[in-house]
Amino acid sequence: MTTSSETVCPPGTVITGKWQKNQYIVERLLGRGANGSVYLVYRRGHPDRYALKVGYDTLELQSEVNILRALNRQLPSSYFIEADDYKSVSGEAAFYVMRYVEGVQLHQFIRARGREWLGLVGLKLLERLSSLHSLGYIFGDLKPENVMVSPYGSVELIDYGGVSAPGRSVKQFTEWYDRGYWNAGSRTGDEAYDLFSFAVMCIQLLDEESLRGASAQLPQIRSVQDLEAVLRKSSQLKPYAAWLGRALGGGFANSREALNAWKKGVYARAVPRKRNKTPRWLQRSFFLSIVFAGAALYLFLKT
Amino acid sequence: MKQILLITDGCSNIGPSPVMAAAHALQEGITVNVIGVLDYGTIGELGELEIREIAKAGGGLHQIVGTSQLARTMQMMTRKTVVQTIQQAVNKEIRQILGGGSLTELPPEKRAQVVEVVDELSETSPLQVALVIDASASMKPKLAAVEEAIRDLMLSLKARAGTSRLSVYHFPGRGHGEDLVKDVDWTENLDGVRGLFGRLQMKGATPTGPALLKVIDEYRCGTLEHNQSWRELPGQEEGMLGDYVV
Repeated sequence: MTTSSETVCPPGTVITGKWQKNQYIVERLLGRGANGSVYLVYRRGHPDRYALKVGYDTLELQSEVNILRALNRQLPSSYFIEADDYKSVSGEAAFYVMRYVEGVQLHQFIRARGREWLGLVGLKLLERLSSLHSLGYIFGDLKPENVMVSPYGSVELIDYGGVSAPGRSVKQFTEWYDRGYWNAGSRTGDEAYDLFSFAVMCIQLLDEESLRGASAQLPQIRSVQDLEAVLRKSSQLKPYAAWLGRALGGGFANSREALNAWKKGVYARAVPRKRNKTPRWLQRSFFLSIVFAGAALYLFLKT
Repeated sequence: MKQILLITDGCSNIGPSPVMAAAHALQEGITVNVIGVLDYGTIGELGELEIREIAKAGGGLHQIVGTSQLARTMQMMTRKTVVQTIQQAVNKEIRQILGGGSLTELPPEKRAQVVEVVDELSETSPLQVALVIDASASMKPKLAAVEEAIRDLMLSLKARAGTSRLSVYHFPGRGHGEDLVKDVDWTENLDGVRGLFGRLQMKGATPTGPALLKVIDEYRCGTLEHNQSWRELPGQEEGMLGDYVV
């Protein structure tokens, strides 16, 4: 019933679709997810490269394909290419092909380019989430590993295995980013669930040590207050603290509102505040220079 | 859907075989999953074999993990088993309609529809999970983690659209020959429950088989519970009470 294939396809392996008969040649393994392995492939006779995911379980993969197809119908840029089966060494396995997103994972990007990029990348990510929400889906398993960032900060969500409809249970989640883990609410998918994960992710990217400290609490007393305490204490988090606190507490009505609030924050930070007060040292030295000038003038006139 | 989730760290050493008990459970339509919890040392070849055999006989899954992965494993196993149970039922229907054939033999569009149905049913069908915890001496240091994992599982179950109920048992019991103790009766919410495991007396005996058989019995009583709730209907109840008051 379920065919599982956890064997690795070495570079050069030809994957031939059983139904559509398209042929893909494996270039290398890109990564392993919760329910499948993703390879970089190219299509025989075409220059374009794609990402191809071989599922460990036919049913789970199909569930993901269903969501990708539904998204494809509604989104202008097509992410999903096709789904098919192929005969591998260990039996029949299902796979699907998607657009290859070049870039690095979010945490690697921030580490390499600096924390000041978070404002922009976060904005683009919130835009993605908000458009996904408006189509009637919750992403679920939001974490830095599932966000790819291109060199100039445009983002793409990968791994749609955790996507569910609002009001349904979240299919896949990861401890740190899970609202239930922090005793901060249910595991029922809603827009606030994704925003909560987003907020934890920001804390991690800006001040991972503090987050680690907060999560080391005993599970039964671990709570969202621990995260709020981190927000208050950490200086790196200060510029975002107000927004993050609101997201952690489920204070945004929806992701559109959260996006707008983030936008305001980003541009407020980007444009430096006007200095309405002259620094004291400048006032003092100005004063002193006038005294000197007066003294010099006095001495000059006296001679 | 009915499941038993057995959490243990070693071999049974008393009473009928747990593998046989698990086979009984499957016969009753209860899937048995087994998690071996292990922080230091090894479970031993024999223990591992038993864990695998129990799960196989009970139509379920098995895994050996450390306490840190316990919560995640329990959640994943329960979910997978729900999907599997639904899939098996749906597959049966498909075979009847199409005359043979499994999921990969279905053309993509048909498969998409089938999986949609499986997803929907997995989320909405009522579910019962009986947690059976080995509380023999060697498990003692792990019980706090087990309790935490149970609460975490409840949280996941509560998020489902269908009703989900959970009950907790541990074995062995206090007295001689007491194989199983019920800690928490069927519930949809653990929030009010403090300290899942009452006073435990740690003993060396591990009557896994007898404990499983008792839980199967409890599931059967679960059908009796319907009678109880029927008895508790307003009006009926008064009449019943009247009988006893005299």
